[in-house]
Amino acid sequence: MLGGMRAFLLVVGLAACAAAWPQSVVFINPGKSDEVYWVTAAHAMESAARDLGMKLEVLYAERDHTRPIEFARELASRPAARRPDFAIVSNDYATGAEMLKVLDAAGIKTFFAYSTIPVGERAATGGPREKHKGWLGSLEPHAEDAGYLTARALIATARKAGARAGDGRLHMIAIAGDRTTPSSIRRNEGMQRAVAEAGDAVVDQVVYAGWARDKAAEQAEWLFARYPQATMVWAGNDLMAFGAIEAYGKRGGVAGKGAFFSGVNTSKEAMDALRDGKLAALAGGHFICGAWAVVMLYDYSHGRDFRDEGLELDRTMFASFDAASAAVFLERYGENFDRVGFRRFSKVLNPKLKRYDFDFGQLLR
Amino acid sequence: MGTPRFRSLASSLVRRTVLVAIVCAVLAAAVQATFAVREERDAFERALHNIAQTNVPLLSVSLWDIEPEAIRRQLKEIASQPEIAYVRLSERTGHSFEAGNEQLRDAVSPRVLAIPYPDGREGSIGTVEISANPQTLYRHVMEKVAILVVGYAIFALVLCALIALMLRIEVEHPMRHLARFTNELTPDRLTMPLMLSRPPRPWRDEIDLVADGFRKLQDGIHSHVANLDAQVASRTAQLQAALDEIRALTVTDPLTGCFNRRHLDSRLAEETLRCHRSGYPLAVLLADLDHFKSVNDSLGHAAGDSVLRGVADVFKDAMRRRLDWVARFGGEEFVIVLPDTDIGRAAAIAERLRQLVEAARLHHAGHPIRVTASFGVAECLESDDAASLLARADAMLYRAKETGRNKVVWEASERV
Repeated sequence: MLGGMRAFLLVVGLAACAAAWPQSVVFINPGKSDEVYWVTAAHAMESAARDLGMKLEVLYAERDHTRPIEFARELASRPAARRPDFAIVSNDYATGAEMLKVLDAAGIKTFFAYSTIPVGERAATGGPREKHKGWLGSLEPHAEDAGYLTARALIATARKAGARAGDGRLHMIAIAGDRTTPSSIRRNEGMQRAVAEAGDAVVDQVVYAGWARDKAAEQAEWLFARYPQATMVWAGNDLMAFGAIEAYGKRGGVAGKGAFFSGVNTSKEAMDALRDGKLAALAGGHFICGAWAVVMLYDYSHGRDFRDEGLELDRTMFASFDAASAAVFLERYGENFDRVGFRRFSKVLNPKLKRYDFDFGQLLR
Repeated sequence: MGTPRFRSLASSLVRRTVLVAIVCAVLAAAVQATFAVREERDAFERALHNIAQTNVPLLSVSLWDIEPEAIRRQLKEIASQPEIAYVRLSERTGHSFEAGNEQLRDAVSPRVLAIPYPDGREGSIGTVEISANPQTLYRHVMEKVAILVVGYAIFALVLCALIALMLRIEVEHPMRHLARFTNELTPDRLTMPLMLSRPPRPWRDEIDLVADGFRKLQDGIHSHVANLDAQVASRTAQLQAALDEIRALTVTDPLTGCFNRRHLDSRLAEETLRCHRSGYPLAVLLADLDHFKSVNDSLGHAAGDSVLRGVADVFKDAMRRRLDWVARFGGEEFVIVLPDTDIGRAAAIAERLRQLVEAARLHHAGHPIRVTASFGVAECLESDDAASLLARADAMLYRAKETGRNKVVWEASERV
């Protein structure tokens, strides 16, 4: 079996649940099985499924653009009894439409988490529950927050340190992810909004490092040479921020002294860097999106549709971290997400709950 | 100095054709190489132009966006063009990239293009240095030259083969045939016709002219030789006639037409030898005209000569044609030689001759002249030679003169 051979398969055991038969969910994970962000996302989902008594299977596409569609076909070809009730997918690499077509034809209900099909690309698919009745809906982290939160914190740190150039302004270099992914574009927009709000800050140049550490390091090296007056480096994720820190170190600089860096994501390394002062700002927590999707599907399967809040949710999830919250995060969720207690976020289990709150910040309080 | 060695026309012509083909090929190759160099230079200029048009703007964007992979890819693409050996990009802040074969960098002085900023501001974000590929140029030139040389070689080869074939058929075969024919020609084979084995054709060429000329020459020589033979035969006949005349003169007495004394001496000796060898008899008559001196004295020497001629005619007419012969012994004396004749028969013949002379009607200047003759007869004995035989006949003549003239005396009559 294709999925069994190459993907990491996990079946979450039975737990006390309302349904007579445990609902089964498959998550087609676009990331690699050793990639911190996506593994963390899967762990959070596993905790949620365990808490809610659902069966979860995670298939890693290993960042192969064709693999998600192969997984969808494989699920569709399974005998009806072994097909999952729900599939949680993301639209990474624009594979969503094809997956949706295959899964809907096989009667597997599909939910988009992390990224959905952009509105401009829905000629073939339509919206949720339109053409494809099995497309239940979507939940996306409000990506703009990540850019905005980190840039704002970065500018504040630099301002406090008095890192102004000859023209009296705070100069920023931005290392973005890519030019096409909606979440990347949103994060950049957030960054630009924060810069505009600050008034005394300016972006010298935005470059795109494809989320990769090495390329970010190389670009940062060029940019430091090109813009010697720059004292802030904003990065679209944590790895690119580390690349830029490396390049700065090679020039003889010390991150957190002459120049300040920000990143996105809640990796252990990022948390450590934040604690050590190498990173001035960090936003993260959106990995939890998949776990929230599991909660929504639990409620849906138990008769509480999320239609009243909207079929396509774009919610604040990112939390801005500082050294203190980083310590809290590592302490609580360094191992797993069992301490979250996902049952308290279910509308079915908490009839008083009227509106979902997906902000990660609440989990740090 | 010996004979220069033989070299056939075809070989000479082929050598010259090859030489001309080589010279032409070298000249054409030089022209082609010049064109190829120019073509290659143009191709490099075009490539530069294309790079300036398409790659430089892309490089500008890639440099500005700091996309090293894209920069490397583009440089690789530029360097992959056959006209370009090496390309080096230098960014304003000191970064540099290169692609292609660095060793060929300075083979041809590189061209430098400035890369402007993508947003159109003043100055350049970097420069790109492009070196032409001398290997492509070399290969290009070599290809052109090779094609040309091969073409010429094939052309020359075919041409030479054709020349050799044509010459062999059209010239060499007939010429060798002619040479062999001429070498084998001897005076007795002069009339043998020259036949060149050539296929029939509706035109004539130089070889036909040569063959015709040769045939004409052959005919001329032949007729000249034939004419010489006729002249030789004519001269030989004249010479033979003269020789016969001389021989007749040497054995004949001019006055009487009888044999002369010299012929008598040699022939009588032969007759006596034959007489001894065969055993057949041999007799001689010695005749002398009586009182011939008085004829001469009274009637003149011309009359004497007429008498001598007349008497000689009488003797010759009476002879047996094939055996007997008459010689003038001197003056008015004659010797008549009678082979296969014994003394008796000889005496009878002498008597008949004496009567014929006596009866002969001789004339001189209208005057009749009567003469008589005396005869001595002798037969050849075993001990005789010509001289002794004649001496005995002379002795008998002497006796006839002494005993009255106009009579015949022989040895038997003497004994009786």
